[in-house]
Amino acid sequence: MAAINFGYSISKPRAIDVDRNNLRKSDEILREMPELQTCIGCGSCTAVCTAGNLTEFNFRKVHTLVRRGEYQGAYEEMNKCMLCGKCRLVCPRGINTRAVVMLIKHKLGDL
Amino acid sequence: MKKTIIIGGGAAGMQTALRLAERGIEPLIVEKEADLGGKLRGWHALFPSFTPAEEVLAELRRRIEEKKIAVRTHTEVQSITPRSVTLADGTTLPCDAVVLASGFTLFDAAIKEEYGYGLYDNVFTSVDIERMLNEKRVTRADGSAPRRIALLHCVGSRDEKVCQQHCSRVCCITGVKQAMELKQLFPEADIFNFYMDIRMFGPGYEEMYREAQQKCNVHFVRGRISEAAPTIDGRVQIKAEDTLTGRPLRMSVDMLILLVGMRANDDNATLNSDLSRAPSGFMAPRDHFLHHVESNVEGIFYAGTVTSPKNIGETLDEAAAAADAVAEYLKN
Amino acid sequence: MTFYAPFCLPFILGALSMFAIVAGKWAVWLYRLPRADKMAILRGLPSRATLDAAGETICESLLHRRIFRVDPLLGYMHMSLAFGWFLLIAVGWIETVAYLGFRYVPLQGHVFFKYFATGLAHKPFFDFVMDLLLLFVLSGVALAWVKRLRSKAMGMRRTTKHVLGDRIALSALWLIFPARLVAESATCALYGGGGFLTGTLGGWMHDHLGVMASINLEAAAWWVYSSCLGLFFVAMPFSRYMHIFTEIPLIFLRRYRLRSGEKKKSYDRFQVEACSRCGICIDPCQLQNVLEIDNVQSVYFLRDRRYKMLRPEVADNCLMCGRCAAKCPVGIDLNTLRLNSRDTLRNLPDKRRYAYLKEIDRSQGAGRVGYFAGCMTLLTPRILTAMEQIFTAAREEVWWADRDGGVCCGRPLKLSGETDAARKMMRYNTDLFRKHNIATLVTSCPICLKVFREDYALEGIEVLHHSEYILRLMQSGRLRTDRGDTSYTYHDPCELGRGSGSYEQPRAVIEAIGRLLEPADTRENALCCGSSVANTAISDRQQVALARNVAAELEATGAETIVTACPLCKKAIARGAAKEVHDLAEIVAARIRR
Repeated sequence: MAAINFGYSISKPRAIDVDRNNLRKSDEILREMPELQTCIGCGSCTAVCTAGNLTEFNFRKVHTLVRRGEYQGAYEEMNKCMLCGKCRLVCPRGINTRAVVMLIKHKLGDL
Repeated sequence: MKKTIIIGGGAAGMQTALRLAERGIEPLIVEKEADLGGKLRGWHALFPSFTPAEEVLAELRRRIEEKKIAVRTHTEVQSITPRSVTLADGTTLPCDAVVLASGFTLFDAAIKEEYGYGLYDNVFTSVDIERMLNEKRVTRADGSAPRRIALLHCVGSRDEKVCQQHCSRVCCITGVKQAMELKQLFPEADIFNFYMDIRMFGPGYEEMYREAQQKCNVHFVRGRISEAAPTIDGRVQIKAEDTLTGRPLRMSVDMLILLVGMRANDDNATLNSDLSRAPSGFMAPRDHFLHHVESNVEGIFYAGTVTSPKNIGETLDEAAAAADAVAEYLKN
Repeated sequence: MTFYAPFCLPFILGALSMFAIVAGKWAVWLYRLPRADKMAILRGLPSRATLDAAGETICESLLHRRIFRVDPLLGYMHMSLAFGWFLLIAVGWIETVAYLGFRYVPLQGHVFFKYFATGLAHKPFFDFVMDLLLLFVLSGVALAWVKRLRSKAMGMRRTTKHVLGDRIALSALWLIFPARLVAESATCALYGGGGFLTGTLGGWMHDHLGVMASINLEAAAWWVYSSCLGLFFVAMPFSRYMHIFTEIPLIFLRRYRLRSGEKKKSYDRFQVEACSRCGICIDPCQLQNVLEIDNVQSVYFLRDRRYKMLRPEVADNCLMCGRCAAKCPVGIDLNTLRLNSRDTLRNLPDKRRYAYLKEIDRSQGAGRVGYFAGCMTLLTPRILTAMEQIFTAAREEVWWADRDGGVCCGRPLKLSGETDAARKMMRYNTDLFRKHNIATLVTSCPICLKVFREDYALEGIEVLHHSEYILRLMQSGRLRTDRGDTSYTYHDPCELGRGSGSYEQPRAVIEAIGRLLEPADTRENALCCGSSVANTAISDRQQVALARNVAAELEATGAETIVTACPLCKKAIARGAAKEVHDLAEIVAARIRR
């Protein structure tokens, strides 16, 4: 398995430096899917996640980091998703989570 | 003497009737159940003071009897206008004003199928726990004492998936209260509250939350339980994300308690089609400040949780305000 | 006779250009077919399939039998235009032969025969028949006008919004036959003859217009007629009317067992251009009639794909419920085409993806029967519990593939266009099934069922949906149930009904335990619950709106309980229903005789 330490990279500073992060992609993503802002971080998506049951994958964390402008590794992380749709079925905010996965991959695919 | 019909004989309805009687207006309480008291009847103790619900209820009932307030129990209402109430049997009762104090409906936890209520033993609702506390017999399905208990917040609240967007407000504090009561009953038990946000809005609530954490060692896990499954030994395995550590969490518990929310009554929509409702289905008052106990139809008033989730104190206050508004209206 | 006049020029040029372009298109499409497809054509040509295809061509391309089933008047309109025009050409050719015997007559000689035949003795029979046929076609044109203005009268609530090229071709087409009527009548006004239509109108012109005016009118009308034909022929290969010459080869190729797949291929072109944009697919679409989304339906999807302006928003916004495909008069495989468009938009082969699947096996138990609950079923534990009770009652030894969380079947990924990634999951699950040596694979999820049957290589393993499995247990006496007096209504899940053709088994199970009431739209016409994994474009609110619509129809049956056979449908409908919604397995488990 590719060693991806998403969000825990040693070489990167620990702080999310919003001043330095380029939020352009994040803004684009939120403009296309404003409902992603309604996430209250309850973790239901991650708890039911079929992929997350088998490997280290945290949808909630990945999309939250993307919203903060932390794009590194997000595409590879999202590629762990099987798009099974369980998360969409439980999200109390009714977020179209499958579309979020596809949108983030689409926007960050060429990084 | 002017006559006002009050629909619903819970805390709000009783208080409204008492205040109206004091002002020389003739109240009639119409209650669909056999007894007065509404949801308060099944409750054990009230937060934050642990006052027995029965104490409040008995006092209200005593006053109702003392004032000889007319009550029709076992009576369901079909529709209302400002000057009349039509019952399910078709009879129409004339009146000068109507106060709608019909309260709320408890969310049916079985709808959240993934939690297994009604399917697995040892999955309970907060209402079951109050009843068991009243019966002084809180046990697991097999009669044994629980050693690990999980309480899940927001079941049927803030959940688009069951079309209940609103916050039911009182479940947070109920979760804290029940955790403390259970801890008292089972000092050896580990108790976990699974929450999305903790909303401690009332006087003394935050203090109670702190006490639960510090004195009672109640654990709070920030994450919504997503699934529950039975284990071979009759326990319940729950799954959640511990969002503060960002890792999936699994845990087997002896009891899973679902803190069920308050939802709008289905008949809110049919009592009078002119009455406006909030998106949540609860009745919408004329405004939230100066006319919060009046409906958009003159002569129809609201008291208590028919307009939104409230605790008992707020409900009693609002009932008094509603009686004031009715009296003012009947004066003109 | 020379058979040439200057006004013939637009027609001749138009016809030449049309034939050249159509032939060119066919040649390129056929040439680009993969070898296997070419072989299939060669094998099919000398077989019965060719005869069947010819029959189907007459029934569909000319008579439009399938449109008659949608609405008789709509069918008549399409038939009168297609079959009527065909007869005009065919009988016109016979007419020429009858007049001139077997000799070479250039194309325009046939088409403008009335203009050139003024010197010949009239044959009243042909005058009559040709007028009758012209009237037949004109009635179709008139109905087409009615349909534009009042589509409801023709059994369609909505008609297609057309692009500019279509509008030009359409206007030309609508003018061709009135122009022909005027041209032929003007000729009759000058030279006599003609049947009840052209003769009568010609007589009237003769009496009221005077000779000079008639001469001018005749010259102009033949020019207009020829120009309309020419314009139509030039526009035709680029417009929706390309379907006229595409549906025919499509019918033959389909009979030779050519099929579209998850990757685009040349055969798709025949399907895409065979769409006449009749718009029959619009009305059945719930996105249209409940959510009022009106730019994503199959007709628009095919149009956008054909003109290379397909956007992901359109490709993704489809429930793939198959209601439109069931109604398509051309029988275009709409879902598969959409699928391979999504593949083109999104598929990214990545060898490293899903490397984590290696060596994982969380299955439990052992048995010749394997049970794959499916991801969604894990969120509906009542179904899971019911299946367990059924297995126990039938004394079945079961291997539980994914009770503690398995690997997705791959269909959701495939439906979103990531077909290569989906293959990895398919391979993983196939290996898992093989490793545990099962003979039967039962699943509760129709989404899994469809992909197991169509995309997995599971030779030797019988794949069953639990409704089929339960019925078998009941019929063989291994599962005994009591019949109650509860009334049920049944919602056909798209992937089980239209997707897998299972309509009878679930109904047989329900009828064995209670009374079944059918909703207004049922079986092939059943509504979609709205939560289909194939759609990643609509919002949660829109899903609820669709669910309420379906629930209302199911509740209108008056049944006490709503039954379905898909965990996703169950969850979706429950959001919109006041009545209880149960899976088939649940109501069976509740009636097991102990």
